[in-house]
Amino acid sequence: MAKNKKTSSKVSRRQFVGGAAGAVAASSVVGFPAIVSAADPIRAIGLGVSIINEIQSRAAKDIGFGIRGQALGYGALFGKTLNQNDQYEVSECYFDMFDAMVPSKVFQPIDTKRIRDWDKVSNLVKTGMLTPGSQIGQGDAPVTKLWVDKDGNPTDGPSRYISAVPAAHNADSLGYNPDDTGRAIDSWGELYSPDFKGKVALINVPQVGVMDAAMGMEALGLAKFGDKGDMTRAEIDTLIEFLIVKKKEGHFRAFWETFGQSVNLMVSGEVALQSMWSPAVTAVNAEGVKCVYASPKEGMRGWHGALAISAKASGKKLDQAYEYINWWLDGWAGAFVARQGYYFSTPANTQKHLPKADWDFWYEGKPASMELNDPFGTPLIAKGAVRDGGSYEQRFKKIAVWNSIMKENDYLVKRWTEFLGA
Amino acid sequence: MTEVRETHHSGLIGSQPVPDETVIRAKIINPEEGFSTGWLIAPATIWLFLILVVPLAAIIVFSFFKSTPHGMVFELTTHSYAEFFITEGFFDSESNSFLKLSVFIKTLGATIYFTLLTMILCLIVGYPIAYFLAMQVQQFKWQLALFLLCMVPFWTSYLIRAVAWLPMLGRRGLINQALLSMGIVDKPVSFLFYSEFGYMMALVQIYVVLGIGPIFFSLAKIDKAFLEAAVDMGATPFQIFREIIGPMSLPGVAIGMIFIFVMIMGEFATAVVVYGGKTSTTGTVILNYYGIANYPFAAVNALMLMVAMIVGIVIILRVVDIRKEL
Repeated sequence: MAKNKKTSSKVSRRQFVGGAAGAVAASSVVGFPAIVSAADPIRAIGLGVSIINEIQSRAAKDIGFGIRGQALGYGALFGKTLNQNDQYEVSECYFDMFDAMVPSKVFQPIDTKRIRDWDKVSNLVKTGMLTPGSQIGQGDAPVTKLWVDKDGNPTDGPSRYISAVPAAHNADSLGYNPDDTGRAIDSWGELYSPDFKGKVALINVPQVGVMDAAMGMEALGLAKFGDKGDMTRAEIDTLIEFLIVKKKEGHFRAFWETFGQSVNLMVSGEVALQSMWSPAVTAVNAEGVKCVYASPKEGMRGWHGALAISAKASGKKLDQAYEYINWWLDGWAGAFVARQGYYFSTPANTQKHLPKADWDFWYEGKPASMELNDPFGTPLIAKGAVRDGGSYEQRFKKIAVWNSIMKENDYLVKRWTEFLGA
Repeated sequence: MTEVRETHHSGLIGSQPVPDETVIRAKIINPEEGFSTGWLIAPATIWLFLILVVPLAAIIVFSFFKSTPHGMVFELTTHSYAEFFITEGFFDSESNSFLKLSVFIKTLGATIYFTLLTMILCLIVGYPIAYFLAMQVQQFKWQLALFLLCMVPFWTSYLIRAVAWLPMLGRRGLINQALLSMGIVDKPVSFLFYSEFGYMMALVQIYVVLGIGPIFFSLAKIDKAFLEAAVDMGATPFQIFREIIGPMSLPGVAIGMIFIFVMIMGEFATAVVVYGGKTSTTGTVILNYYGIANYPFAAVNALMLMVAMIVGIVIILRVVDIRKEL
């Protein structure tokens, strides 16, 4: 595929439809600026995990203008961020999308001088290492997507400008019910253990599921991948053919797509072991069902959220977008998402807004000294419970691979389709 | 079938006595009264144009756009169609993909297979229910009450109905618990759920009502006098069904099957919830490519699905001439 060969002839879906729809749309858009007022809100898009009423109304209270948020599914967020950057000022997106977003210049480079707490943003994205000596990890490591010049072109190293501000992040691995597995799970290879035949589930997002599956194969020494976040066609073929054999053997119970489905699979006892997100493990425990979050010796699969500003934002809207992003880094929002089980890029600010008991549990990996609530005030963590996977630093010391969109993405989706249909 | 109209009828929804032709003329064709035809069809036409014709045209146009890793580019190409139809190495007699059907054709084939299977099952399950309602239940109020009972599942949301199978069919579900406690099995059976069996069962449960309705109505329209006449002439129950009831209920069967066909061809949610995503349907392919913003390829799949649906409907209508029958 030719990379960005014909930028000038690029037509976004929006522009195209707009053109077809004719003057009606155009005139209504032109009509709006006349009623811009001081309280005029900015528009933010993101997934349901960050576009939350509580967060936005607090932001509005703190910064004096409204945030009109739109929560989308991953695919819709990807598409809208890429094709309709006139429809948002801030996209609360993910660094794994940036191979598509950065070359197509849908964002404007962010001036770190305008980010108040830039020096408090952790090194996880700045250098790729949260603590010195950490492993950067394969795939779309956020550090490789961060730095750009003032025109938005990627640079080799640190620069004054960045593609987007690092935000919430986490490391995912396997969740299991110790009663069903009968032993502790400490390797991705257990995904294919014959002991769990018919009781294993994978995430059904091709780009992510394929990495979990590859980690398992690699752990068993069945294959070696150059970069699990950017596989070659031959590597994808090896992996998919192995998965097809396993599927035909009846090894997989299901493939889940949403957070809720993964919780359901575990709570109902349908699976013993599956790809899982850390907050889903917490949700299963909250239902009174045993579920442990594995810390595989091969490392976890990381993902990292980002706050990006549309290239179309200018003037007052641009100032507001910066203001909103600065507010995110200020700590209140970081504390909010911490109680959902996510980490935030300004841990020192988060700590200021989080009671010690919560901080110790979520960031330090210590036993809960009291019953802890989720961000909405519902009891979530029993006294004495310990967060699986250890402290924040331990988790991010060894990221095996970051969520990625491969160059061979189309081929991957095609083969994944074949796998599911086999 | 036009003779039916002239006979007296005792069925539930029989045809009305035909009024005098001059009365019809006077009522319907009076240009002085009310709105002209143009005005009457305008709202529906505008509506359909905006929500059907324009988006459909857009889908056709997008299907010829070029997809790149960073969005759709206005550069006309048939690449997405080639991707849909042709496997790499398709024309290469050396390749092991030589003349092998592409993944997407196979997926469409699987979609059609599941759809046909469900249609057959819905007919087998639905027809007797409709027959019972229309022929065996004598009183109108009971017909209505039982018909509404069939609709009860529609009172809850689609997703709840699909999810509700888990506590019933799951590993720790009611059926497994019953089997275990009766000592029929010694460990839970897993074929009930996240399986083709469970998938079929859920599809039939969800969509069978769409078949029962039209079949019930066409059965109820059958003039009971025909059946009495047949009995008087010494026809066996099987003959009556084969010669009278069967043919006269065909329009209902056809309409019911069209409803079910169209609904299941576009299905993807049940496959995810009840089959655990263990199959690919053209619906899931569209979703996956939409998810990576490859709109041209999603559009091609949507169009191919539509073509398959149109072909299916034409075939059904070829078998049963609905206009003649109604």
